[in-house]
Amino acid sequence: MKNILILEDEPLIAMDLQHAFEDAGAQVQVATNCDRAFEMLNSTTFDGAVLDVNLGKGHTCKPVAIELRDRGIPFLLHTGDLDRVGEFLRELEAPIVPKPSASTLVVDRLCAICESRAA
Amino acid sequence: MARLRVLNVVIRDTKIEVTEDMHGKSPASPDSSDQAHRGTGAKFQAEEDSFSGSSGLLFEQAMAQTRMAVCLTDPHREDNPIVFSNKAFERLTGYREDEIIGQNCRFLQGAKTDPAQVAKMREAIRSEDVVILELLNYRKDGSTFWNALHLGPIYDDAGELLYFFGSQWDVSDIHLARAEERHAKAMAREVSHRLKNVFSVIGGIVNITGRAMNAHEVAGRINDRVQALGRAYEPTLDDASLGTIEAGQAIRAVLAPYDPENDRIRFNGQSVRTEPNAISVVGLTLHELATNASKYGALSTPSGTIDIAWQHETDRHGRQSLVIEWKEQGGPAIDGEPDQTGTGFDIAETLLSYSNGALERHWEEDGLRAAISLPIH
Repeated sequence: MKNILILEDEPLIAMDLQHAFEDAGAQVQVATNCDRAFEMLNSTTFDGAVLDVNLGKGHTCKPVAIELRDRGIPFLLHTGDLDRVGEFLRELEAPIVPKPSASTLVVDRLCAICESRAA
Repeated sequence: MARLRVLNVVIRDTKIEVTEDMHGKSPASPDSSDQAHRGTGAKFQAEEDSFSGSSGLLFEQAMAQTRMAVCLTDPHREDNPIVFSNKAFERLTGYREDEIIGQNCRFLQGAKTDPAQVAKMREAIRSEDVVILELLNYRKDGSTFWNALHLGPIYDDAGELLYFFGSQWDVSDIHLARAEERHAKAMAREVSHRLKNVFSVIGGIVNITGRAMNAHEVAGRINDRVQALGRAYEPTLDDASLGTIEAGQAIRAVLAPYDPENDRIRFNGQSVRTEPNAISVVGLTLHELATNASKYGALSTPSGTIDIAWQHETDRHGRQSLVIEWKEQGGPAIDGEPDQTGTGFDIAETLLSYSNGALERHWEEDGLRAAISLPIH
């Protein structure tokens, strides 16, 4: 797990996650909206991603999630609103880590997903 | 009121049948009473009345007095006009009888009436079916009401369609209550979502600050406790209006992160509602037990399990307590009580003691057994 994309509109949560992934030896890029995430996806090959579901003003991570699925990049959804994620989940079958969770737990879960994919 | 020839109305199954009595006398012919007895539904058969002497008059009096708005329409006339309406219909709609008679029922519809409901109504009339539906209607003054409409055909003795019967009931109160409930749920969800985000942000601040001050480990421990507390309060929001919360939901929420595969912790609890203020202490104590289990106990091995049971207990003084029992199995073998059990348990025991509660721990050979008891006031 080398390159990690974090899509999160709350800077403090993003920074905390970034630290936790860096502690685990990963390189992290943070996007606060889908447009930025797509720019990063076009310039970097990511090994995994953490996506906040609600990105403010009614925007969600859906377009990025679909792109990641199509590229076969493992990701998890990190959200406090499990109800709103509902339909989305059924479509993508993406794992969820509910907010609030320790940032180290998010790292552990994404590592586990990446490893199970590799195996 | 419009005079009608309708005298005997018998509801049979869901069809409404009417027999006519042109003479205004007792309809108690053997034939019609037999019909009434075969009916499975209510019997609306007007009978000889010693006061009025006329079942027709009785019908009119009943129609005048009932609080249910009733009308009849005549499908044999152009545009199926209303040929009869009662006082309640006037009160409900604000129209006078002379403004009602001759109108098609659609005169109560308006801009916000759901066309789908109107279509159902039209289909029921076309197929001579009984239909019950709710639609938004408009009064004479332009105000609206939710109308629970019951519509059905009325047949004569020969089975020929005579009228359509419509009863209207104002169910605006029910609609308002439903709307308020939906609104309250949406609000609770929004608050819940924001609260979770706040706890997440607090976690970020604690970790970032701890890192900047070279106290990463301390920050991590603070955070674990803050997050456990946040999870413990999550279910309280959905239930906030009830004043008490479901203990099991809070227990499950606190422990969820320690069992990501959902196969290590078994929950055995009755439906126990408890005071919201019990939750912070219970949440933190369970967090300490789970942390301990992850480091040294049943969750530190690949197959250890924890059984948790909870219930309300009443002691001999009639005082109620929430009691949570915790039993670990399949962890490393235990050789008596450890020398040190950590500051986390000290915190939990102190918090519990404030409420005359207690945390008992027994270091049994096959795993820790613990009991949290907390008096409920």
